[in-house]
Amino acid sequence: MQGRIKFVGFLGLAALLLALVARQAAEGASPDPTDPEVTIQALAIIVNRSNSVDALSTSELRRIFLGDRSHWPNGRRITLVMREPGEPERRCMLHDLYQMSEGELKNHFLHGLFTGDILVSPKILATSIGVRKFVFNVPGAIGYVRLSDVDDTVKVLRVDELLPDDKGYRLKVELPVTK
Amino acid sequence: MQTLDRILSAILQQYATLMLVLVFCGVAVVGLLVIRDLESANSSAENMYRVSVQGLLQAGELQYFAQETRRATLYALTTNDSNLQVEYADQTRDADRKVTEGIAEYRQQAVLPEQLELANRLSRDWAEYLGIRDEVLASILEGSTKEAVSLDLSGGVPSFERVKKDLNEVRRLYDEQASQRLANVVATSRRSALRLIGTLGFTFLVSIVAVWAIQRSRMIGAIQLAKLQMEFVASVSHELRTPLAVLNSAADNIADGLVTGKPEIQRYGTVIRTQSRQMSELVDQILLFASVEDRSARYFFESLSVNQILDAAQRSTQELVEGSGFVLEQRVDADLPPVVGDLSALTQCLQNLIGNAVKYGGERKWIGLHASKGTSANGAGFEVRISVVDHGMGIDRSDLPHIFDPFYRSPRVVNMQIHGTGLGLSLAKRIAETMGGALTVVSEISAGSSFTLHLPAAERNEVDLRSAAAQPTSLSQQ
Repeated sequence: MQGRIKFVGFLGLAALLLALVARQAAEGASPDPTDPEVTIQALAIIVNRSNSVDALSTSELRRIFLGDRSHWPNGRRITLVMREPGEPERRCMLHDLYQMSEGELKNHFLHGLFTGDILVSPKILATSIGVRKFVFNVPGAIGYVRLSDVDDTVKVLRVDELLPDDKGYRLKVELPVTK
Repeated sequence: MQTLDRILSAILQQYATLMLVLVFCGVAVVGLLVIRDLESANSSAENMYRVSVQGLLQAGELQYFAQETRRATLYALTTNDSNLQVEYADQTRDADRKVTEGIAEYRQQAVLPEQLELANRLSRDWAEYLGIRDEVLASILEGSTKEAVSLDLSGGVPSFERVKKDLNEVRRLYDEQASQRLANVVATSRRSALRLIGTLGFTFLVSIVAVWAIQRSRMIGAIQLAKLQMEFVASVSHELRTPLAVLNSAADNIADGLVTGKPEIQRYGTVIRTQSRQMSELVDQILLFASVEDRSARYFFESLSVNQILDAAQRSTQELVEGSGFVLEQRVDADLPPVVGDLSALTQCLQNLIGNAVKYGGERKWIGLHASKGTSANGAGFEVRISVVDHGMGIDRSDLPHIFDPFYRSPRVVNMQIHGTGLGLSLAKRIAETMGGALTVVSEISAGSSFTLHLPAAERNEVDLRSAAAQPTSLSQQ
């Protein structure tokens, strides 16, 4: 009897582990460029035009988006602007920059706000255009939008000295093809 | 009153057309001025609408959109939803863009110094407010609500108040401008109305005066004509009474048996004949004048030589001339062309002229009868000129314009009791004109007079009338 219970428990654990592994695999899986259902676009990091910063490294960008850095060199407070959970741009950032899950990110910000390490929680906007307009209106804002949504009201940062158009630019977003 | 009548008569005769033209010009000038005033008023009204009224509307819009920027900014304060905040930010920026454009347009249209100064001040205040507004908006979007409110209270509200004050000043200036333009329109309209009334009044007055003057002139003319006719009747009566008196006297003497002996009878017979002929000639003249006036005279036009006419005239006046002791000197130029006319009428014409020369020839008792050739007045061909010249009393310059008027007799002649009907020259002139010619006069007081009958020379085809049957022509067909 005890052997049976152990066996069932072991099977359950194995199943759970398998599910976790499968999920990780799904999250970490590289996009198949030949998949006809998605299109790949560069994700531009945008700041206000009055911001003196033109380029950031990936590590600096990560620090900013994690809230570890609170002010720009000109003293202006950094305001993070993000898309809503589930949006392709947010998923790209979670995977390529944060390297966290949604839950981990949420916990990180909750902890930071509670301890006072993070002053303001990120602003969540529903649309790419909304992000752009927010960045336009707030001198200390930083956000991300797909390259096709960029216009001359905001400035695009170089990441690791690469612009979104350049070869080797890391931040790419998968966008479903609308039929 | 007589002086006024004379002046009126002279003015109407000489200057009627000029006065009419002057009045017309005056009315036209005033009319043009009125039209100009109306156009000016219309233009002022248009400008008033375009600049002032539309300016007021524009100022109202600016005030509305300026208020909109504030409203949208403050609405953003009332929510924590970043999406809504961004939307309100869009609204405030849309509104501020309209205000900025409106201010730029106002500055472009500003002409007066105070308008330019106000435009510059408004631009500065607006730019200052927008700067503060942007900071407030950024604070709101960042989530720093307290900071946003503090900034708005300390900077946003006072700067917006300045903008409001400037916009109110813009409205006040437009309002002032509109009032001034309206006053101009009213003044121009009033001026136009006064000018119109003045012109109408003046025209009405001039019309009344003109009608009165014309009526008076006609009345004077009628009175003068009646007077002349009365004088004519009196003169004819006198002319008839004199020979009648002689005839009566002769008849009485004969009837009373006072005339005996052949010589005396012959003398009486001559007197009776002479007086009868005079009466007959007078009656003929009156009847001829009446027929000319009535346009019922019938003439026989034929080609005539000058000698024919002169001989006929001499024959008809020989007794009168010789009986008066005058000498008639005839001079005819050579190669005179023939004329076309009625011999009897032309003879009558010259008879009247010679008769006048005898009557007014004075003591010299000389009459010249000259025939010559000249160029016609219109320069188209030749004419024959037959002049009757005397060295008598002459005609006063003031009488010359009237001597061809029917029944007219110079006051000087009437005072000298020289008898006549006043019809001779009038008849002679009408006959000359019927023949296609004219009758002219040159005269000087105490030197004498020269009356010239101008007759157009006959054309080649008119000469053939000599061989063809003469066609009677009624005066009414002329």
